[in-house]
Amino acid sequence: MSSFKTTMIGYAGYRGKEGHVSFLLHRITGLGTALFLTIHILDTSLVYFFPQLYSHAIDLYRTTVFGIGEIGLVFSVLFHGVNGLRVAFMDLIAPKLWSIPKQRTSTRWTLIVTLILWLPASTIMLYNILRHNYGLFGG
Amino acid sequence: MNASTVRTVQKPKPNYETTAWKWMRYSGFLLIPLVWGHVLLQDIIVGVHKIDLDYVALRWASIGWRTYDTLLLGFAFAHGVNGIRQVLQDFVHSPVLRKWLNWGLLAFWIVIVTIGGIALIGGVRSNP
Repeated sequence: MSSFKTTMIGYAGYRGKEGHVSFLLHRITGLGTALFLTIHILDTSLVYFFPQLYSHAIDLYRTTVFGIGEIGLVFSVLFHGVNGLRVAFMDLIAPKLWSIPKQRTSTRWTLIVTLILWLPASTIMLYNILRHNYGLFGG
Repeated sequence: MNASTVRTVQKPKPNYETTAWKWMRYSGFLLIPLVWGHVLLQDIIVGVHKIDLDYVALRWASIGWRTYDTLLLGFAFAHGVNGIRQVLQDFVHSPVLRKWLNWGLLAFWIVIVTIGGIALIGGVRSNP
C-alpha cells in the first residue's frame, strides 16, 4: 500500500508543467479507453453468445448519461492518439526533440489539434443525443 | 543543442520490455487509422441510435469489415492490456506481486480476446 501512496504523491506533486499534464492525460485517457474497450468487446460478443440481450446493451448506450460518456471517450481516443503519435515520432524518428522547450510547444500543439478534432465530433454526438433522446431538431 | 535539456538514454539490450516498448509505438501508429476510422463511422456517421443486431449482421456479412474488426480486436486490446501492465508497474513494486499481476493480466487478455474472437468468427446468431 505504501508504494501506491508514494506513486500517487509523485503523480500529484511532479511539477513538470506541460510534461506533467501530458503524462497524466495520456495515462487517464489510456486507462479509460482500455476500460471501455473491455466492456465493448463483451457487449459486442453478445451478438453471438446472447443475441437477445444485445438490444438491452445498445439501449444503455443510447441513454444521455452514456452519450455524454461517449463524448468523453472520443476525447480520450483523440488525445491518446495525437499525443501517442507525438511520443512515438520523437522516440523512433526524432529523439533530439526530447528537450524541455520542444516538449512545452509540442504538448500545447497536441492539445490544440485534439480540440480541433474533438469539437466537431462532440457537436454531432450532442446533436444526436438531443435529437433522439429529447425530440429536438425534428427527431 | 543544449546538453542539459536533451534527454539521452543508453540503448538497452533487447529483452521483453524493449520489444513491448517498440510494439506499443508500432501498434499505436496502426491504431490511429483503425480506431479513429471505427469511431468516425460508428459514433459519428452512423451513431449508436442506428446500431442494432441487423446492422452488425449486415456489416459482418462483409469479410473486409470482419478483417477490420479482427485487426482492431487484436491490436487495440493488446496495446491496452500492455498499457495497464505498465501503469501497474508504477504502483506495484514487489516482484512477487508484479509476477501475479502479470499472470493475471495475461489470463484476462486471453479470456477477453477469446470471447471477442469467437463472436467475430461465429457472427450474429438470429436463432439462439
